[in-house]
Amino acid sequence: MEKTYVVIPKNCTGCRTCELACSMVKSKRDEAGALGKPRIHIYPTGPQRYMQMTCLQCVDAACVKACPSKALVLNEETGAVEVDEERCVGCGLCEAACPFGHIRFDRDLGLPLKCDLCGGDPACARFCPYQALEMRP
Amino acid sequence: MPVQVKINGIKMSAEPQETVLQVARRSGVHIPTLCHLESVESTGACRVCLVEMKLGGKTQLTTSCNAGVEDGMEIMTDTPEVQKHRAANLEMMLGRAPGSQKIRALAREYGVYESAYVPSEDPAIPGCILCELCVRVCEALGHSALAAVSRGGKKYIGTPHDKPSESCVGCGACAEKCPTRCIEMTDTKKTRTIWGQTFDFVSCETCGAPVMTVRQRTHAVETKELPEDYYTTCVACKQKNLAGRFARVGS
Ligand code: SF4
Ligand code: SF4
Repeated sequence: MEKTYVVIPKNCTGCRTCELACSMVKSKRDEAGALGKPRIHIYPTGPQRYMQMTCLQCVDAACVKACPSKALVLNEETGAVEVDEERCVGCGLCEAACPFGHIRFDRDLGLPLKCDLCGGDPACARFCPYQALEMRP
Repeated sequence: MPVQVKINGIKMSAEPQETVLQVARRSGVHIPTLCHLESVESTGACRVCLVEMKLGGKTQLTTSCNAGVEDGMEIMTDTPEVQKHRAANLEMMLGRAPGSQKIRALAREYGVYESAYVPSEDPAIPGCILCELCVRVCEALGHSALAAVSRGGKKYIGTPHDKPSESCVGCGACAEKCPTRCIEMTDTKKTRTIWGQTFDFVSCETCGAPVMTVRQRTHAVETKELPEDYYTTCVACKQKNLAGRFARVGS
């Protein structure tokens, strides 16, 4: 793993460009052309204060432990836990098990949504206008 | 020992336990599937993964998801013959499941827009193509609550004797993975009804929203290492609560 994904809440203005970038890059448009849900969420935590919340890529991840079909796999190169869509059976246990709410089961897709660091170059960090999300060596 | 095969004329080395579909996908060759998952048994039921396979001078059409590779096999994944059969299968499935977006989209790729096929009798589950992916998903999860049953010569999917199944936990995986989304599942804030049975939800400690069914949690705790207290809060509250905690630590 060469770089680490870093969240810098004090730089966040709550503009939610990251959420949009995530949806644009990661989701397939549905029949009506609407975008899917993002894998990063912004929460207001005080007057002009925000907190960006996305997967922590736990080393000893609860979602991985809960999955009955070995559909959540560590990508050794990026350090991200990825969803193997060809293996997932749609039970939703990963969502129930993650203590942080960072993996969400999407009932429209029949698949969980979670951050996979875009293979090592996350769109949210690339598009954040305020350097509040970064990949650092 | 690896075996040598050819896919669309390109030489590939494969492990003997691999299927034709696995080798093709691994080498970047697209083969469509509707009822296949890597984590459940493959049966070739939907027959859209058909390919042409030549071995020992004999050519035949075969479903690639459950065909093992053999040394010297030559596989063609997109011949006119393959396309013709895929189109015919898709037309039949479109007749059974005219409302399925997934089948409609795939059929379109094969030039099929409407179906002349009309099912001979009223199906027990409208939209069901009898691929039995739900049966296999449920089996892979260790519940085996579903089976293909036959009544008066009519085949359909159901629970044994059409009674509420004791092994069903109401997880909904069968409904999520159904390629035509024809399995009825009704959620309220407190309960889920599926396969003629109503299950209580574990309610979120913070907001009362559903977390999972009580029975699914019991099964998960029994079969997996995570204890019950992992499953107490809904996904939205978990993330929101954590954001609040981070903010307090940060200030
Ligand atoms: S929904 Fe899919 S990824 Fe999540 S636990 Fe179930 S099988 Fe695994
Ligand atoms: S809801 Fe019941 S029948 Fe469907 S997969 Fe879960 S346990 Fe099996």
